[in-house]
Amino acid sequence: MKTIISYIAFFIVLLSITACNKVIDLKLDNEDGKLVIEGNITNVPGPQVIKLSSNVSFSSTNTYPPVTGVQVSVSDQNGNNYTFKEAPAGTYTASQLTSVAGNTYTMTVVSNSKTYKASSVMPNFVALDSVVSAKNDFDSKNNKKKITVYYQDQAGIANQYRFVMYVNGVQVKSVFANDDEFTDGNHVSYDLNQDDIDIYPGDKVTVEMQCIDKPVYTYWFTLMQQGFNGPGGSVTPSNPPNNITPTVLGYFSAHTTQTVTITVKP
Amino acid sequence: MIRSLPVIIFLLIFTAFNSSAQKKFTINGTLKDAATGETLIGATVKIKELPAVGTATNNYGYYSLTIPEGEYTLLFTYIGYETVSQKISFHKSQVINIGLATKSDLQEVVIRANKPNNDNVASPQMGLEKLNMSQINQIPVVLGERDILKTITLMPGVKTAGEGNTGFYVRGGSSDQNLILLDEATVYNASHLLGFFSTFNSDAIKDVSIYKGGMPAEYGGRLSSVLDIKMNEGNNKDYTVQGGIGLISSRIKVEGPIVKDKGSFMISARRTYVDLFLNASSDSSIKGSSLYFYDINAKANYHFNDNNAVYISGYFGKDVLGLKDVFGTNWGNSTGTVRFNHLFSNRLFSNTSVVYSNYNYVIQSFQSNDSFKATSKITDVNLKEDLQYSLGNNTLKFGINILHHNIAPGDVSTTGVSSFNDKHVERRYGYETAAYISDEWRANNKLTILYGVRLSGMFLLGPGTFSTYDAAGNTIASTTYGSGSVVKKYFNLEPRLSASYAINDENSIKASYNRNTQNIHLLSNSTSSTPTDLYVMSSNNIRPEIADQVSTGFFKNFKDNTYEFSAEVYYKWMQNQIDYKDGAQLLVNQDVESQLTYGSGRAYGIELFLKKKYGRFNGWVGYTLSRTERKFDAINSGNYYPARQDRTHDVSVVGIYKFNKRWTFSSTFIYATGNAVTYPTGKYSIGGLTTYSYSERNGYRQPSSNRLDIGATLEGKEHKRYHSSWTFGIYNVYGHRDPYSITFRDSKTVPNTTEAVETSIFAVQIPSVTWNFKF
Repeated sequence: MKTIISYIAFFIVLLSITACNKVIDLKLDNEDGKLVIEGNITNVPGPQVIKLSSNVSFSSTNTYPPVTGVQVSVSDQNGNNYTFKEAPAGTYTASQLTSVAGNTYTMTVVSNSKTYKASSVMPNFVALDSVVSAKNDFDSKNNKKKITVYYQDQAGIANQYRFVMYVNGVQVKSVFANDDEFTDGNHVSYDLNQDDIDIYPGDKVTVEMQCIDKPVYTYWFTLMQQGFNGPGGSVTPSNPPNNITPTVLGYFSAHTTQTVTITVKP
Repeated sequence: MIRSLPVIIFLLIFTAFNSSAQKKFTINGTLKDAATGETLIGATVKIKELPAVGTATNNYGYYSLTIPEGEYTLLFTYIGYETVSQKISFHKSQVINIGLATKSDLQEVVIRANKPNNDNVASPQMGLEKLNMSQINQIPVVLGERDILKTITLMPGVKTAGEGNTGFYVRGGSSDQNLILLDEATVYNASHLLGFFSTFNSDAIKDVSIYKGGMPAEYGGRLSSVLDIKMNEGNNKDYTVQGGIGLISSRIKVEGPIVKDKGSFMISARRTYVDLFLNASSDSSIKGSSLYFYDINAKANYHFNDNNAVYISGYFGKDVLGLKDVFGTNWGNSTGTVRFNHLFSNRLFSNTSVVYSNYNYVIQSFQSNDSFKATSKITDVNLKEDLQYSLGNNTLKFGINILHHNIAPGDVSTTGVSSFNDKHVERRYGYETAAYISDEWRANNKLTILYGVRLSGMFLLGPGTFSTYDAAGNTIASTTYGSGSVVKKYFNLEPRLSASYAINDENSIKASYNRNTQNIHLLSNSTSSTPTDLYVMSSNNIRPEIADQVSTGFFKNFKDNTYEFSAEVYYKWMQNQIDYKDGAQLLVNQDVESQLTYGSGRAYGIELFLKKKYGRFNGWVGYTLSRTERKFDAINSGNYYPARQDRTHDVSVVGIYKFNKRWTFSSTFIYATGNAVTYPTGKYSIGGLTTYSYSERNGYRQPSSNRLDIGATLEGKEHKRYHSSWTFGIYNVYGHRDPYSITFRDSKTVPNTTEAVETSIFAVQIPSVTWNFKF
C-alpha cells in the first residue's frame, strides 16, 4: 500500500527526464556532543547490547565518540535487574538476559548524573517464512532483481516489523518498517524496495526480520518516511519520536530477531 | 441573535437607502462581445455627466444603474475593446444591451481614441488580480502548454509551490486554503500529471480572477484566496473550430450557436501523449506503462428572453498513470453546474445554481500476491441563490448557499490471494451553509465602501462512530451517531469591509479587513501534489480554521491609465492551523484525526506591482517582500518558525512585445528566495545507518531560484476561411538549476563522510513548439 505511493513518486522522477543531481556545499550549524542511546534486547540468548555515543557535526567524518563510564541496566516487570558492563568503550552488554514475549523491559541509563529511562514490550515472535528474489519491476533490462520477504501475520493483534538487508555483507542504507494495518492475519509478501545497492544474480542477500513494538515502529517508520527523500515524497524531517525520557537521540527496543540468507537466482 | 444579524443588516440598508428615492429610473442590460456574443464580465458602465455614478457588469454581463432623469452620455468600456459611448434622453426606465467590438491590432498600437478606464484606482476592491486571457496565451510556459495557474503565480503575493508543481500559496496561506472555482464548482485537485500541468484548459476559459484579500462576502469557505475561473460560453453567431498540436499534447475546441443570438455551446478537449515516448523505450517494464491525462470542458446556454437565461456547464478530467502488471492509478475531477438567471425587475438580478463537484482516485496493485484496489472520493452538491439589487449609489448583493459534502476517505478491496485485507473507512457527511449580504456604497465621487457580512455554519452529520483524541493521539471517547444526527456544529460570523478613497482620477488609497473561515481541510504530508489527497471536515477534533486579514494600499494610474501601479501591505493572523505528527499515517486510516496537531500562524508583507496595460510593449513587474510563520506547541519549543513557503523576496517580470503584425515576442523572469527547509545540524549512527539530527524546524534556506523563459508567436498569413499560428518557447533559457530538493547521504566519493545532494527537475533548456489553428 505505502509502496505504491513510492511507485508514484518514482514516476515523477521518470517524468522529469531532465532531472539531475549535484553534490553541493552547504553551511550548516555544528551541533555535537548530544547523547545517542541505541538499546536492543532480543529473544536470542547471548550478549544483549546497548550502545552509547554522541553525535557529531555534519561536516565531520562518520566516527562517533563513545560515551563511557555510564551506569546502564535493564529490569523486567518481574523485578529482575540486569547490569550492563562496558567493553569496548561505549558498548554495554549483559549476557544473562533474553527477552520473553509479553514482558516489559525498562532500560535505565545514568550519564552525567542524569537518568534516562525507556520501556519496551517484547512482541510475539512471527517467523520469516522465506526471502525470494524476482525481476525488478522498474529495471528488468539489466536483469536487476528485487527482494521480497514472506511471513504469516498474526490475526487479531497489532504486529510491527523491521527488516535489515545486507547484500554481500554490506548493509543496505535504507529503513524498512511495516505494520499490519492493511495486512492483519494474512500471509504477507513485502518488497524491500531500495535504490542503494543494485542486486544481481549470484549476490548473497541476508535479511534480518525483527518484530518490534508500536513506539519503536513509529520511530523507524518516521525515519523511513524521511529517508524517502526523492522528488515528490518527503516529509519535513525531525528527530523521530522515541521511547526515552527525557528526550535524547536513539531508541530502546525489545524485539525478536531471525535471519535468512539466500543466493540470488538468475 | 447571531443568526438574525444578516436580516437586521439587510433591513437597515433597505430602509436607509430606499428613503432617498426621488424621481429616478433604471437602465439595465447586458454587455457582450459584438462578434461572438460572449458576455463580458467586469466591464464598466459610466455616465459622462455624473462622474460619481458607475457600475460594472456582473458574472453574466448584466448591469443595472438607477439615476435621475436627464440627458446623458453612457460610456461602456472593457479592456481590449472599443469603448462605446451612447447618448440617451432618459425619462423612463430602459433596457440597453450593447455589443462591444475588439480593438483591431493596428488601432491598439497606434491610436487610442478613448481614455481607458481606471478601475484599478476607482474600485474599492483590493487584493484582486484579474488575468487577461490574451496575455495568458502569450506567456511562455514549460512544454508549451498555456497554463492559468502558472500565470497567476507571476502576480505579487501569489507564489508557486515549486517547479513542476501547480499548487500555489497566497499571502502565506497553504495550498488547500485556496478556493478554486470553475463555473462555481469547487475543483479539489487543480493539477494534472502530479503537478506539471493545471486542470484548466485555457482554450475553454473566459475570465480568471484571484482574490488575495478583501474577499467579497459572496465568497467563503477558504482562508487565503478565491481563484474564480469562468468558462467560455461559446460563440452564438458562428460555428468555429480551433485547436493546437504540440509536442506532448493536443487540444481542440468547437463552438457555435444553438439558436443564433439566443443560445450557444462550447466543447473543448485536451490529451497529452507522453506515454508514447515511454512505449518507445527498449526496457520492457517501462514499455507497458501509461502516463497521460485528458480533460473535457463543455458549456451551453440559452437566453429565453431579456429576463431569463439558463447555463449548463461541466468539466471532466482524468489522469492515468501505471506500470503494466505492477500497478495502475487514475484520478480526476468532475464538475457540473446548472444556472438560471432571472430578472425579477430591472434592478433585481437573481442567479440560482445547482453545482456538483467530485474528486476521486483509484490506486490498484496488480502484483500476484499484493493485488488490491484502494479508492477515495469527495462529492459535493451545492445549492446557491445569489441576488443583486441595484439602487442609486448602492449595489446590494445577498444570498444563501447550502453545500453537502459526502466524503469516502478510503476503501481497500482485494481479489484473490493478497497480502492485503478489505478495509473501509466510514463515510463522512456534512453541510456547509452560508448566508451573506454586502453593499457597495458610492458615498460620493471620492469614497466608495464595500461592506458586508457572511455567516457560515458547519454541520458534521452521522451516521458513524466519532472518536475524540488526546494530544498524544490516543482515543479518549468514541460515540456512535445515527443517520442525519448532528455530531458537531460551528457558526462563524465573517465581517468583510473594504473602502477606497480617490484622491483624484489617478490616485487612490484603499483599506480592507476581512475574516475568513474554513471547514474543509486537506490532509497530505507530502510536499508535492500526489493524487492521494484526503479531505476532512471540521469535527469534534478539528476546529474551523480562521484568518483575519487587514490590508491597505496605494493605487496609481498614470500616462492616461496606460500604467497601473499599486503597493499593498497586509497582515494576517491564522488560527487552528493543521500539521502532522511525526510518522503520521494518513492513508485509509479511520483514526486519521489522531495524527494531527494544531497551531497558529501569521503572515505579513508588502506587494508592489507595476503594469503597462497597453501598447506595442506591455507587461508587468511584481515584487513581494513577505514573511510567513507558524507556531505549534510540539515544534521548535512552541516558538514561531518560518513556514515552508516563506520566501522573503519574490520577483516576477513579464514582457510582451508586438514586433509586427505577425510576430509577438514574450518573456518572463522570476526570482525567489529559497524555501524554508530543515537541514541536519549533526549526525549519528543508528541501526547501522547514518542518521541526521535536527535542531530547528525550517531553520535553513534552499538556494534561491531564478529562471528566464522566452516565447514567440508567429501569426499565419491572413485567410478568409481560416487562421493559424505557431507558438515557440524556450523554458529556462540559461539552463539554471533551480533546486527541487536537497538530500543528505553518505558520500559516494569520500569514504566515511556525508554529503548534500541537490536535485533539479529542469536543469536544462526545454524547447517547445505548438501549431494552432482556427476556422
